[in-house]
Amino acid sequence: MLFNYFKIAFRNLLKYKGFSAINILGLAVGMASAILIFLWISHEISYDRFHEKKDRIFEAWNKGSFNGKVSCWNTTPKILASALQSDIPEIETTTRVNWADNYLTRFGDKTIMMKASMVDSTFLQVFSFPVLKGDIQNALMNPSGVVLTASTAAKLFGTDNPIGQTLELNEKFQLIVTAVVQDPPNNSRFQFECLLPWAFLRAQGWDDDYWGNNSTRTYALLKPGSKVESANAKLENFRKKYDRDDPTGGFFLYPIERWRLYSSFTEGVEEGGMIEYIRIFTIVGAIILLIACINFMNLSTAKSEQRAKEVGIRKVIGAMRHNLMGQFLGESILIAFLAGILSLLLVQVTLPAFNTFTGKLVEIDYTNPLAWALWAGFILLTGLIAGSYPAFFLSGFQPTKVLKGTFKKTQSAINPRKVLVVLQFTFAIILIISTLVIKKQINYAQNRNNGYNKDQLLYYFLTGTAEKNYDLIKNELLSSGIATSVTKTSAPLTEGWSNTWGIGWKGKQPDDRTLFDRFCADQQFVKTAGLELVKGRDFDLAAHPADSAAVLLNESAVKAMGFSDPIGQVIQDNGQDWTVIGVIKDFILHSPFAKTQPMVIEGAHGWFNVIHFRLNPTNSVSTNLKNAETIFKKFNPSYPFDYTFVDQAYASKFEEEKKMGSLAALFAGLTIFISCMGLFGLATYMAATRFKEIGIRKVLGASVASITSLLSKDFLKLVLISFIVASPIAWILMNQWLKGYAYKTSIDVWVFVATGFLSLTIALLTTSIQAIKAAVSNPVKSLKSE
Amino acid sequence: MIKLEHISKWVNQGNNRIFLLKDINLGIEEGEFVSIMGPSGSGKSTLLNVIGMLDTADEGSYQFYDQPVHTLKEKQRSQLYKQHIGFVFQAYHLIDELTVYENIETPLLYQDTKSSDRKALVADMLDRFNIVGKKDLFPAQLSGGQQQLVGIARALIAKPKLILADEPTGNLNSKQGEEIMDIFTQLNKEDGVTIIQVTHSEKNAAYSNRIIHLLDGRIEHNR
Repeated sequence: MLFNYFKIAFRNLLKYKGFSAINILGLAVGMASAILIFLWISHEISYDRFHEKKDRIFEAWNKGSFNGKVSCWNTTPKILASALQSDIPEIETTTRVNWADNYLTRFGDKTIMMKASMVDSTFLQVFSFPVLKGDIQNALMNPSGVVLTASTAAKLFGTDNPIGQTLELNEKFQLIVTAVVQDPPNNSRFQFECLLPWAFLRAQGWDDDYWGNNSTRTYALLKPGSKVESANAKLENFRKKYDRDDPTGGFFLYPIERWRLYSSFTEGVEEGGMIEYIRIFTIVGAIILLIACINFMNLSTAKSEQRAKEVGIRKVIGAMRHNLMGQFLGESILIAFLAGILSLLLVQVTLPAFNTFTGKLVEIDYTNPLAWALWAGFILLTGLIAGSYPAFFLSGFQPTKVLKGTFKKTQSAINPRKVLVVLQFTFAIILIISTLVIKKQINYAQNRNNGYNKDQLLYYFLTGTAEKNYDLIKNELLSSGIATSVTKTSAPLTEGWSNTWGIGWKGKQPDDRTLFDRFCADQQFVKTAGLELVKGRDFDLAAHPADSAAVLLNESAVKAMGFSDPIGQVIQDNGQDWTVIGVIKDFILHSPFAKTQPMVIEGAHGWFNVIHFRLNPTNSVSTNLKNAETIFKKFNPSYPFDYTFVDQAYASKFEEEKKMGSLAALFAGLTIFISCMGLFGLATYMAATRFKEIGIRKVLGASVASITSLLSKDFLKLVLISFIVASPIAWILMNQWLKGYAYKTSIDVWVFVATGFLSLTIALLTTSIQAIKAAVSNPVKSLKSE
Repeated sequence: MIKLEHISKWVNQGNNRIFLLKDINLGIEEGEFVSIMGPSGSGKSTLLNVIGMLDTADEGSYQFYDQPVHTLKEKQRSQLYKQHIGFVFQAYHLIDELTVYENIETPLLYQDTKSSDRKALVADMLDRFNIVGKKDLFPAQLSGGQQQLVGIARALIAKPKLILADEPTGNLNSKQGEEIMDIFTQLNKEDGVTIIQVTHSEKNAAYSNRIIHLLDGRIEHNR
């Protein structure tokens, strides 16, 4: 019986090649999209789920309120870990992870940059990064020990045993390799090339017990059977006991399974995070698959007249309805199976591009039987979804009606096929509108005045001896005509590394906790960056040596401090007095989609990490870079000349939105593509069934144009209805999306007009090919057939 | 075998009720060979469909053997006719996608006959109608007469007690028609299969031992 079903299914497949191709291709594209989305999601939800003790691992988060707003953040004081250990009985052990930093690492004649995390000695006991060589217990005890990953060890030592070898880091630290661990998998938040012991950090004097310095991540391993709730209850006002400077707020422990997907809080309540993307893409994937299934349903039921006779005969010779449903489901599963094979090929072909796009290394494990089982289940499911309605529809035919030869499908105003087409195009139109709005929002923010001149502006991190030789570098850059202006700053112009609510000024309210971005620059900052000076002057140490204790404010900061005449005011930060010498217009430090924050730019007494320099436009960029490299190599010989163009760094601020835009465009394209394939199939079919009618009309004198419009009109009506349904939905969704941006574009009418025009044009092109073909055919042919 | 009492069937057109069958009383015994005749639209095919349980009457009772068909549910009716009744059509109604062999075999699939039994039964049938050489051909590759032979073979494969034939020779030339009629006669005489055929042709009706004339949904003659 089953064999019989598949045999007939296969013959039908071959008999109607066009329909089969549309069905298989449409389903395959839909299935491939769904598989890719599934791979992405399963990778996202697998983050840090491989740790053996994952059920007991938590991250400590701060919770505090500022000016009435509750904030949560996951950088903690270094001292927190020991306080947790001693005060919270639920906690078995803690481990801290400091920011990963790059270290110039040398072994013999080999030099590499190595990304190092500084961690507590308990790190390898809490987290599961299997130790390949060396002693897991003591690996991170010794202040001059270092743990390498397998690939770093291979880079430095090849196949030799690295244990006990001495490495030189940043040309000053001598460290001995104590262990080699497996490379961290890419679905872990911990990405490192080597681990340095916390003891090393302490030995350098980098440790501190200041409760206001939230700079490290603290993780806790609970005792088996302990409740996190009871630990959290004890942590709620934890700062009261320890933090003498600011004894408000506390901490909470955040479970490992929520790190990747949530970790986003609004007013102290979990909101948003990666999970939103997961939800959106789950829905989008389901919709694309559904649209492909709808094609199958539509084409199968449209073909029903051809199958009706067969259904009638089968019923007469003894088939029960369930036999027929089985047969039709068999056919849809066969088609889904063929589509499933094709979709795997599509996935395999597009996976590299997909990985580049998502920045992941997702792959299909073909040796995993579970993956195959999932794939088979997916095919079965797709076949069942796609086939259920046609099976139900076709198996319901009455033999006496269909065998009389007078059987005609009902031409009611609303039939399911039309509803399904409307559904497909509604999705497609929503996606097109979304794409346009996202693009518009990106353009809007890109056209926003960023407040400085990005052109020919570069920055370089003060690595190695560059900091020591800064003045020499600066002088050579200027004297050789490479740069027109050079400034040392605390952070790149595109990144805010520091902020504080601890700034003091005359007239500050005691409960004012306004957050200021904190930036430092030594000299000619306004000139180098191309900022707009509103009042006062730029830093100029040559003319005004006191400028090392001067500060620039932006306009928001002036407003926040309530100065009517800011120049000459004295503010306090880090226990130092700073005199205001100038006011600049706000520039975009963080997101171009957000409002600018109050900002202070402190003078040469600050701390510095970066050189900014503006290239001399009279030389070509490549000449400038080549000459600059020589200078940097001269004064910082061990380090590579790693520079960044500010305009590129600024452009990367749009990356997430651009990805969103590309994804929306991709999905809109796929949806349109699949929907149009279905529409094409329906138009083909319709032209065939109305062959005779067209013949009669032509004999009666109808023109090709009138027949074409007659045949296309019905489909265009459906697209128009879809447009009317989709527009308000898209408007609501996009309004919701734009709400997340402080600096946002408006949703204009032209977006809708363009979308309507576009979708009608696409639908018209799709259907008119068939309509014109039918319209120009010779009526003699169609009329003699009876 | 068949007992129809006061069978009526109608359609409503606006306020008018148009009778397709009106007050049909008919008994048919096992082993009879009956022809139903009448002009177009007199209700011949409707009557045949009602007898074949493909269609139901709006009024009246229908006894098939000891089963009150008019009270049965659709599923039970299907079970009943698939066991006892074979259908032959004017337009043959073979399944285009199946070969001759598969067309004949299909009713057995729906009766869950074992594979080995199926093979034997289909082989017998192919032998009997001399179409062994055609078993792998598709219907489109056969002449009308050959297609109807396959249609009859398919109707007989499940060993029905009753054959219902709706103008079985309507699309055939006279020689092919005679062949089919000879087969029916043989089936009726030698195998004791009851046959009811709808026909326009007096010549075909002459093969039967009883002719029922229908006019406007009523039985006019019953001899």
